[in-house]
Order: sequence, then C-alpha cells, then structure tokens
Amino acid sequence: MAALRSTSARALGSAIKPAFRPAMFVRSMASVSDTPSEKPRMKTFQVYRWNPDTPTEKPRMQSYTLDLNKTGPMILDALIRIKNELDPTLTFRRSCREGICGSCAMNINGQNTLACLCRINTEDASETKIYPLPHTYVVKDLVPDLTLFYKQYKSIKPYLQRDTPSPDGKEYRQTKADRRKLDGLYECILCACCSTSCPSYWWNSEEYLGPAILLQSYRWLADSRDERTAVRKQALDNSMSLYRCHTILNCTRACPKGLNPGLAIAEIKKQMSF
Amino acid sequence: MASIMRPAVLRPTAMAARMVKTPAIRSAFRPAIQKEVMSNAIRASAFHTTSKRDILPPPPQVIQGGVNDPVPIPDPSPSHGSYHWTFERLLAGSLVPLTLTPFAAGSLNPTLDAVLCAAILVHSHLGFQTIIVDYVPAKRFPTARKISTWGLNLATALVGLGLYEFETNDVGVTEAIRRVWTA
Amino acid sequence: MIAQRVGVSAARRIVAGNPSGFFTQHLPKLAASRLSTTQIRPVGTSKITAEDAHSLLAQQRLNRPVAPHLTAYRYDQTWFGASIWNRFTGGALSGAFYAYFAVYLVSPLLGWHVESASLAASFAALPAVAKGGIKFLVAWPFAFHCVNGVRHLSYDLAFGFAKKQIVKWGWAVWGTSLVLGLYAGFAL
Repeated sequence: MAALRSTSARALGSAIKPAFRPAMFVRSMASVSDTPSEKPRMKTFQVYRWNPDTPTEKPRMQSYTLDLNKTGPMILDALIRIKNELDPTLTFRRSCREGICGSCAMNINGQNTLACLCRINTEDASETKIYPLPHTYVVKDLVPDLTLFYKQYKSIKPYLQRDTPSPDGKEYRQTKADRRKLDGLYECILCACCSTSCPSYWWNSEEYLGPAILLQSYRWLADSRDERTAVRKQALDNSMSLYRCHTILNCTRACPKGLNPGLAIAEIKKQMSF
Repeated sequence: MASIMRPAVLRPTAMAARMVKTPAIRSAFRPAIQKEVMSNAIRASAFHTTSKRDILPPPPQVIQGGVNDPVPIPDPSPSHGSYHWTFERLLAGSLVPLTLTPFAAGSLNPTLDAVLCAAILVHSHLGFQTIIVDYVPAKRFPTARKISTWGLNLATALVGLGLYEFETNDVGVTEAIRRVWTA
Repeated sequence: MIAQRVGVSAARRIVAGNPSGFFTQHLPKLAASRLSTTQIRPVGTSKITAEDAHSLLAQQRLNRPVAPHLTAYRYDQTWFGASIWNRFTGGALSGAFYAYFAVYLVSPLLGWHVESASLAASFAALPAVAKGGIKFLVAWPFAFHCVNGVRHLSYDLAFGFAKKQIVKWGWAVWGTSLVLGLYAGFAL
C-alpha cells in the first residue's frame, strides 16, 4: 500500500474527504443480479444527512435514485446498496437484517420502524423519506444517540429480583397462566421505535421513561417470580416517570414487533391506581 | 499505464471530483448503473431542524454521569403520581353522567349545577396543570414553572369566586347556556 | 488493505480487457477512482486518558443536532391525532370557561354587562349564520372532548388497544364530534 503512494496521490487523498473504499467489485446481498431485459423501475430516496466533522453545517436531505429491479425488497437493502454503490459516506446502523437486533430503527416516511422489516413502496413513484429516530440527538446521518435510553433501561433494574430460594432448590417455576402474562412483553428488542414516536417522550425524555422502558418495567411487574413488585411500583410513583403517558398510542402504532407498549403502560397505571 | 499518467491527470480530476462529490466517482467501472448514478448529482436541499420558533427547543445534549450509570430514580410522591392519576380519572368519569343529565333533563337543579361547575373547574385546573408539567419542565425552567403553577392556582381561585358569584346571583350555568343557545 | 489491492488488480484487468473504448471513455473518472485505491485518511491516533476521552465525547455531544420530529413524523399521528386535539379542545373550552368567569367576577367594577340575560339578548341580535357558526365553534370542541374523553377513560381501563381499533376509533371520534357539533350548532 505504502509503495503505491506517490506524493501527489497523498496530497489528493487528503484533499478528497471523505476517502473512498473501492467496494465496487464486491456485490453485496442488498443487490440482486442484473436482469437487463426488464424496464428500470427508478425510486428516489431522500435521506437525512449530518456530519459531525462539519458541525456548523445544517442537516440536509440528500436524494439517491435506485433501480428497484436491482435492489432487494426492503428499505435496508436500498440503504446498503446506496452505501455500497453510490455514497460510502452514508452512515446507519444495521446488523441482523431480520428484525431481531433492532439496530436499523429509523423514521421511514414519517413512521418509526425497522428498515429491515419495512418494504420499499413499489406501488407509487413517490420519494421515500428516511430520517433518524425523531427527537434524538444525531451522532451522524441516521445514527441516533441512545445513551439516555439505555441508562433509563438500567434504572428499572431489568432482571429478576428475588430473596426466597425455590422450594426444590432448582429453578423458579411458574404456572402456564403466569408465563402467558409475559407474552407480548419479553419479545421487546429495545429498538426505541416506540419511545421516539412518543411526543411526551420528545418533550420530557430526561424524566419520563418512555414506552419501551415502561413496557420492560411491566414485564418485571407482571412476572410472578419477581419479589420486588412494590419497590418497582414505588420507583414509578411520581409525576414524571410513568404519568407523562397520555395514551397518545403512537408507540403501539410504531412497534415493528407488533407489541403493545400502550397497553402495558395502561396495565401499570391500573395496577397502581387501586 | 495508470501510474505513468497519474500525476498529470489526477490533479484536475481531483478538483472535479471535489466539485461533483461522491457518487459519480465510484461509478467508473459500472456502466450498467451509470445512468441512475448520474441522475444522482447531489440534490441536497437546505433543511431546517432547529428553527427559532420550535416548540420547546431542546438544549444541547448533556448526559449526566457515565454511559453505564442508570438515570437517578425520583423520590416517590403518590400525590403527584398514582393518587393524582386516580383522582383525575374518577373526576373525569363522574363528569360523564353530570354532562349528560342536562341534555336529558333540559336543565339542572341549582345543587347539581354547582356540582357540575365545580367538577369542571377542578377538571380544568388539573388539565392546565398537566399542560404546564408537560411543556414547562421544572428542571430546565424552574422559575417559569413556579410562576405558571402559582399563576394557575391564582386563576383557578379567581374563577372559582366568579363561579360562586354567578351561581348565587345568576340563573345557573346550564340554564344560562340553554337560554343563550335558544336565543 | 487486501481489498484495496484486489480493487487495483481488478481495475487493471478491466482496462486490459477493453483498452481502447472503455479507457478513453471513462478516463477522468477512472483516474479519480484510481485515487480511491490509494487513499489516506488524514487521521492519526493518540493515547488519551479516560477523563479526556469523556470530555471529548461531552464536547461532541454539544454539537449534535436533534432529529426532526413534528415536521417528520406522520401528521395523522401528531397534528391530527385525537390525543393532541383532546388537549386543544379541552384547553380552549377551559380557557373560555376561565375567561368568562374571571370577567364575570370583575365586571361590576368595570361596569360591563356579561350576565346571562344581557348575553342572551345580544346573542339573539346576531344573524342566524353567525349564531350557528358561534354555536358550532363551542359545540364541536365540547363534543370532541367528551367523545374522546370517554375513549381515553376506556384506555385507562385497558380497553381498545388493538392497532386497528386505535386507528378506527381515532377517525370515528372526528366524525362523531363533527356531526354532533353541526347538529348542536345549526339544529338545536
């Protein structure tokens, strides 16, 4: 590598920022094989861009046009293809591409969802707008900072708390009915789609825990094996942590896993009221 | 070959590349996608996220403590939490029959009318209070919060007095609304 | 590094395969892409203490923009959501309630006449359309707040949380309140 460098290339390399990697010979999963006979189906994606290296520049929308015949069916496929073939500086999180890691949570056409579970709308030619999760602090492009979200998750002590040992000294058993209460709660992947769709969380994220964390909170309140229910409830019993929820229900409409954070919060309120 | 021409060609190209920015450069070896790439000459539009008139403009990001510390748990205060919520819901629930009765009966007797008005007053007070708690966060605007809370308390007291005057001197709220409505 | 080498050799192969047409046609861009194989990142690394790293991060956090929210999120869930209109209508009605009774309290001092009899008299003098319009402007928020209030009470009892129900009942509240408002404004 070093041998390839000439002084002029070095000057140019630093002149062009950001530098590029030649990914053009590597075909990724996001592209499908060329079928030249088909008529190209072009689709434009408008993507939110902001670069921390130039913090004084305002965030902007950048459009990219792709031929859908050569792109996979999901928004994440389009993003990966944009990054591979059009603009390697585009930054976003992704990992599992099957909706189990929660990395690619973003706002697509005004709705928070996972890019890997969201199909590209092929019916109309309208542009697809892609933003980071709403009202989050942006690290770069589509990458939001979720530090506070995780700190809040930690504050609800998301683990089994118990003093009495199990009668047989083995595992903590629960009835089938008790186990069933955890369905629709334990599946949460903490992608933050619901929390960042909640206007209450937008305005009061510092003190209000938000739907995702409250759903997790209810997951431990509903667990028959947990013995700290009273303490857990007490931690929520103030004006901010729980009661900033005004059942706007954007959370339930946003959840890409089909869970119901709104209902979980309502159940907590009900449990705590009487 | 490429290495021979590099110094001569690179300089102007690099300049051009800087102007066109990223997409065009990478398409050199991909005639197939060239058309779509060329149409991608950056169409970036200016985009404002933070205008001066934003509702509740968020402050610059500051995170208390390290990334592995949990956020602090507030002290429990049921009078602002669960009791408050339960009272609010019971009041709202009791307003349903109280609101429907005058429509069914045409008017209300003075006692029920006073009860309805008092309930609406408290319901309004709690509603305004919620709005203040939502939009005037105590941590960021402690003074504004204090002023608005006490301003609301004062307003509610005044309105309560006005309501008392109205109930004692006038015809009663439901009857007054009926008269104006059918005027 | 290896990938970059691969890129270089592949580029050479393409050039060798079709020297004349391809090469001359794409000369400037090819040259530019050759560039990318010899990139240098103008970045160095240095060891810093944990405190310095934290303060650097804190400094970077201060620069971060906030992702668009009210402008970006679906308007049917924000601006036209039943929840925020519950607040708007409730606030407007309660505001009017507060304003009227505060004025009623001080009206003797100011010599104003806002008692029900004089209000009814002055309201009766208005043309029919204005009467209906004003009545609608009072009746619609009232109807909306009542209907949606009942919906919220059902939420508090943990009913009606299915996704389809949320959307359906949201629009039903708008429809019902408009019908009730128009009826109360122009037919009552």
